[in-house]
Amino acid sequence: MSTNYEYVPEPKLIKGDHTFGSITDLIAKTPLSSTPPLWYLAFAVANLLLIVLLGAVGYLIWDGIGIWGLNNPAGWGWAIINFVWWVGIGHAGTLISAILFLFRQGWRTAINRFAEAMTIFAVMCAGLFPAIHVGRIWVIYWVFPIPNQMGAWPNFSSPLLWDVFAVSTYFTVSLLFWYVGLVPDFATLRDKAKSKAAKISYGIAALGWTGSFRNWWNYEKAYMILAGLATPLVLSVHTIVSFDFAVSLIPGWHSTIFPPYFVAGAIYSGFAMVLTLMIIARKIYGIEDIMNIDIMEKMNLVMMVTGNLVAFAYLCEGFIAWYSGYIYEQGIFWLYVVGPYAWGFWILMFCNVITPQFLWSKSIRRNVTLTFIISIIVNIGMWFERFMISVASLSTDFMPSSWDYFSPTFWDIIIYIGTFGLFFTFFLLFLRFLPMVAIAEVKGVMPQADPHNYDEHTNEFIEAKAEPALAQQQKLEQKNQQV
Amino acid sequence: MSKHHTTDNLDYPSDLNLQKPLFAVGIVALIASFVGYFLDHDQFFFSYLTSFSFYSSIALGALFFVMLQHLTRSHWSVVLRRIPESISANLPIWALFIIPVLLGMHSLYHWTHADALAHDPVLQGKEPYLNTTFFIIRQIIYFAVWGFLGWRMHRKSVEMDKTGDWGLQTLLRRTSGPGIFVFALTLAFASFDWLMSLDPHWYSTMFGVYFFAMAFQCLFAVLILVVVFFWKKGLLKNTLQKSHLYDLSVQLFGFTVFYAYIAFSQFLLIYYANIPEETVWFLERLNGGYEYLAYFYLFGRFIIPFIVLLPKKSKSNPAIASTIAGLILVSHLVELYWIVMPVLNPHGFHFSWMVITSFLGLGGIFFGLFFNTFSKERMIPVNDPKIEESLRKH
Repeated sequence: MSTNYEYVPEPKLIKGDHTFGSITDLIAKTPLSSTPPLWYLAFAVANLLLIVLLGAVGYLIWDGIGIWGLNNPAGWGWAIINFVWWVGIGHAGTLISAILFLFRQGWRTAINRFAEAMTIFAVMCAGLFPAIHVGRIWVIYWVFPIPNQMGAWPNFSSPLLWDVFAVSTYFTVSLLFWYVGLVPDFATLRDKAKSKAAKISYGIAALGWTGSFRNWWNYEKAYMILAGLATPLVLSVHTIVSFDFAVSLIPGWHSTIFPPYFVAGAIYSGFAMVLTLMIIARKIYGIEDIMNIDIMEKMNLVMMVTGNLVAFAYLCEGFIAWYSGYIYEQGIFWLYVVGPYAWGFWILMFCNVITPQFLWSKSIRRNVTLTFIISIIVNIGMWFERFMISVASLSTDFMPSSWDYFSPTFWDIIIYIGTFGLFFTFFLLFLRFLPMVAIAEVKGVMPQADPHNYDEHTNEFIEAKAEPALAQQQKLEQKNQQV
Repeated sequence: MSKHHTTDNLDYPSDLNLQKPLFAVGIVALIASFVGYFLDHDQFFFSYLTSFSFYSSIALGALFFVMLQHLTRSHWSVVLRRIPESISANLPIWALFIIPVLLGMHSLYHWTHADALAHDPVLQGKEPYLNTTFFIIRQIIYFAVWGFLGWRMHRKSVEMDKTGDWGLQTLLRRTSGPGIFVFALTLAFASFDWLMSLDPHWYSTMFGVYFFAMAFQCLFAVLILVVVFFWKKGLLKNTLQKSHLYDLSVQLFGFTVFYAYIAFSQFLLIYYANIPEETVWFLERLNGGYEYLAYFYLFGRFIIPFIVLLPKKSKSNPAIASTIAGLILVSHLVELYWIVMPVLNPHGFHFSWMVITSFLGLGGIFFGLFFNTFSKERMIPVNDPKIEESLRKH
């Protein structure tokens, strides 16, 4: 008996006819060759936006957060939305680099460096918002428990303070993890660099890496430990972000499913952002053999799963809101659907519930253009999710007499757009000067890294299966014997 | 047969007939429980529900595990996949054991009382969901879905043993995608029905995830115990290797942390917000002797397993891993008891022998069914496309 189904073998992780050498050349080419004009153009735009951001933040500090559209019931607006949005995007990087590493997912090597860079810059953008939203940024050090003569301490039972610790720890560990992974590749660049300046700077960054057994042994240990540390950290960060809302009494905020739901949403939006960036970069830098369609499909699958987890959380929340019998909880969910922000709700439903369902189709998952569009829709959707949570829940609070409609001002919008300048300035610097793919790790998942020099049964040497170096040695030996 | 040579016999030994004694224990203990019904029928139903949700959670964990392995195309788990497959394959039969719960609805669920409903506006609001007819319909839907999935995952995998048709692998993967989607929904609502609605006023959006986290943690504990038991009996000694036990322990460790994360988040958010409607659930369960149960499972299924399983060595040590697995399973029972029983005895802890008899009774049937299914087929999926990678694991 036979089914109509074909067996689909696992695809090769790296396409094309690559050797270890060609992979090194392909990746090291970008940081070691001269800057392309297109890069300057992109960098100029990013810089312009960054200057806009700095100006807008300067004005904010000068004039106070009154320049934002906050009003009395809606005391938390775009600042908190953007914070959660950016920090959520950052989560995909750690998931790919740490969690998928622990699960021994070989495909992560194509994108981990890239995604981790995104994490670090996204967390930087995120960190800006809590800092500026306090209003008096010159006393921001008060969030740290520094002994002082006033006897004033931060409120240790506030999740906002936990955020400070969680996000700063997360940023530090992510940076370390990223750097540790970069060390062998820095050494590769050092060895390949022609110019003295490049040789010296990559040399310093490579920390004297020689590629010896002892180097690798320590490296693997450190990498494993950092992956183990980063995994609970990434979960804790978005969990605590969700606590910012969920510990309160506000209907629509106080929901026990928030921690895992926020983490799933973070990974969902983060994968979307990695896809957006990857689809552009792989084309421009010609690394489609590494960041190939199969990798894209796997990422789409993760996006589909996390998207459905988010949809599942919406369903649980909506159902329990009704089931609770608590009129304010029921009321806020009813107002999401028919209230003043219903437009936001329907955008959210379209982006986060309907859109991921398209990914059930294999042909859509493997379609670059459609994936690009979906990845952008997902990020819009995840922004609106945070908008609905913070603004829609606050502005229609317990008493209809105090309801007020929230509208963003010019400054809300310009600061948000400005953070893209911050993000892309760093991201473009990364693309220009650092190896955007983990060279050493990609080699580890190539078939050459797992050679089976001999046939399992006859124990005969097989050249096609063997490592190139060993094959050469065997040939030499044969020649010597003949002589 | 795969190219890799296994030195083990892959057929279940005919002289190891475990299902008979297990069924015997099950039937005797269940009869003892039914005697308890005539002494104290409320106690009987609550004890039964505790044990029923215990074994159901393991069967559902197994079903989730099998589908997850197909979706992620895992290599490592292929050799031991027949074990969870054989557990969840019995879900269609296991469905029959929901019947006592349905018969005992009046004892178990306060919201079935017409007089309570008449004076309680909150319950009236929930009536479209919490009513006897819809409850029964939902149970039929859940078990139809789970039974179908469990049966199919096992059946098609066994078919692959015989026909060697690798296309079945694709079929199983395609079943698992939508399967997991439906599974998540039904599991969450089943946990609302079985356990959360025992306190019909109380609610927690996390409850479905909480039940899942408990179930999935226990599944790994069961798999470890089964593997170690097989080794003791000399089965699959060279097929299932230390590295497979190590992987199972890693997963057990990971999902122990996941469980703790979910359970603690649920507790913290309710504790912190301090809304009386929600905190009352924990208040009842942290007083009158129930707090000791909470301390027990806190240590038994998180703190001790976390510390012990942290070093690499203990993860591949059969004695340590199986002891921890046993502790986790006992804690799981204690935690379910802690969820269920305060509804029956709200003023304080009260032990009854019926908990033991129903636990042994359902356990005998549950594992009897497992060995019955497991013994009929090859003990590993011999023709799976990834069996070689799985065997060659080191």
